[in-house]
Amino acid sequence: MIVRPVAITDLPALLDLARCAGPGFTSLPANEERLAHRVRWAQRTFAGQVERADADYLFVLEDDDRQVVGISALTGAVGLREPWYNYRVGVTVSSAPELGIQRQIPTLFLNNEMTGQSEVCSLFLHPEQRHGHNGRLLSLARLLFVAEFSQLFGEKLIAELRGHADEQGCSPFWDSLGRHFFKKDFSYADQLSGMGNKSFIAELMPRQPLYTCLLTEQAQAVIGKAHPNTEPAMKILGAEGFSHRGYIDIFDAGPVIEAPVSKIRTVRDSQSLTLAIGTPDEQAPVWLIHNRRLENCRVTSARARLHGHSLLVDRLTAKRLQVQPGDTVRAVALLKQGQQAAAA
Amino acid sequence: MLALRPVQLTDLPQLQQLARDSLVGVTSLPDDTERLREKILDSCDSFESDVRSPGGENYFFVLQDLVSGRLTGCSEILASTGCNEPFYSLRNRPFSSESRELNIHHGVPALSLCQDLNGQTLLRGFHIDAERVRTPASELLSRARLMFIAAHPHRFAESVITEIVGFSSEDGQSPFWDAIGQHFFDLPYVEAERLCGLQSRTFLAELMPQYPIYVPMLPAAAQACIGRVHPDGQEAFDILEREGFETNSYVDIFDGGPTLHARIANIRSITQSRVAVARQSAQIDARGRYLVSNDSLLNYRAIVAELDLDAEGAVALSPDMLAALGITDGERVRVVAL
Repeated sequence: MIVRPVAITDLPALLDLARCAGPGFTSLPANEERLAHRVRWAQRTFAGQVERADADYLFVLEDDDRQVVGISALTGAVGLREPWYNYRVGVTVSSAPELGIQRQIPTLFLNNEMTGQSEVCSLFLHPEQRHGHNGRLLSLARLLFVAEFSQLFGEKLIAELRGHADEQGCSPFWDSLGRHFFKKDFSYADQLSGMGNKSFIAELMPRQPLYTCLLTEQAQAVIGKAHPNTEPAMKILGAEGFSHRGYIDIFDAGPVIEAPVSKIRTVRDSQSLTLAIGTPDEQAPVWLIHNRRLENCRVTSARARLHGHSLLVDRLTAKRLQVQPGDTVRAVALLKQGQQAAAA
Repeated sequence: MLALRPVQLTDLPQLQQLARDSLVGVTSLPDDTERLREKILDSCDSFESDVRSPGGENYFFVLQDLVSGRLTGCSEILASTGCNEPFYSLRNRPFSSESRELNIHHGVPALSLCQDLNGQTLLRGFHIDAERVRTPASELLSRARLMFIAAHPHRFAESVITEIVGFSSEDGQSPFWDAIGQHFFDLPYVEAERLCGLQSRTFLAELMPQYPIYVPMLPAAAQACIGRVHPDGQEAFDILEREGFETNSYVDIFDGGPTLHARIANIRSITQSRVAVARQSAQIDARGRYLVSNDSLLNYRAIVAELDLDAEGAVALSPDMLAALGITDGERVRVVAL
């Protein structure tokens, strides 16, 4: 398996993936025209032809038979072209000391504080491929890419995790809040935001803080709660140092998790190493390895041995990465230490 | 015969009884001796003060049965809101939700805490015995305040407001309170209203939400309370509505009850009342019922009387009426049709 930039020839495979992901996956619409537009835009991004504000790094996961089985993406910056909104879950204190009354009222503050940060998004792995290290490779390849090209990204990486919705796709948070201002179902709002209209919908909503106690109980219960389907993605990013610091999506109240780039394990622990070819032993740990190229970026995972500043991998791995012995690569252990032990 | 007059300290024991019977939500009538005493003294000071422009004066009136001496109701006028403490209300205005790109424009009603009603004359504390409800006595108790304003306009603002008690159930539950106030106070509605009568309303208002509350987000029962009158407050509402008062976009911060307002120039008892010379007459050929007041300040009196009133001339009053008004033949009175 390798992770590489998307190509226009991937379009049929992407359409299949989009159909498989379903309409809830709004950033991957099963619409050829829109997908083609996104792919072309991603190609220009990898070619260095677009500004950070518009950058959309779309990667695919490809097996050795050249089958595309997953995608993931990374944006240069959110909120620089149109406002990016979140709620921060804060507190307002209602106090009358003379009466012995002191109430802490959870309050949602609309903000644009994530402006300029980079977002990891659009991860989808074909259900048949959800095994081994595939999910981790598809997700972490982006982080290793950021480690190599940190000047192309913001100080923080964020991820908006899908919020709670019922089987019909209804969001209790939306029904209690957004619906009163947009007067449409969540699924419709969701589709529109997938098409890049999110800020327009956001601008229908009040700018002033909102007391959560005025939401329905069902809505209050899902604030900052991720959809169960996103758990694997959240686990992977959580192990990398992403955490929820009170920011949520304004539509479905799903958590926004974030991490300063410099504190992300893959970024912090990755190192530039010289590639050597040989036969790593069976006990050798699995590494995540990047060929350090932008347009011809290749990332894979493989058993490897570290000897000083040199990383020993097998011939197939070097071939997947399109590198020769003596080339430098950026690499990091795929699992962090605790996970290594658990995996062994 | 019943007569309305300024309160005196000797009214205290009877007032306390009235306070006990008063409706939850009539917060200006606390069931507390010390607070009532203060209110009475404050009112006496207000009548005696030499006012150049309206301030925090509070004029407290009682309705008394002149035969038995029994007090049967009371009412008040606060000369100007916002003088001693801010006057808070909830403004109900649409929040404009708009997107040119999505071609959407609609208003979402929102309640915002405000002090927009500072600086207006406030009618309040209206309470009458149950058996006098919807009789001329309650007209007298409410409207004699307006005739007092007509007699002493420099003591009052250009516009007059009142808050009508909002809906609560027989067991004292207010759906409006439960949906809003309860979260911020952690007190039952009845207790909050009681505290309001005892304490300054201001620091209770300071507990209220400072950010707008969007009406569609409230439970249906709470939404239905916005501007809804308590059944026992309906008469107070009806009397003032007939006087030319209108509801506006402001509601009470606790129970969502409506606010009525009118400009002095549009209030019937003020504009349609006329001043005439009183003539003592043994025999009155009664043709209609009128409110009659003496335009005095400290000795203000008002009664309901059946009179024979022609358009311009003097007003014939019986000796009983003159006595009830505390005037003699030849003095001036103000009259308006009941």
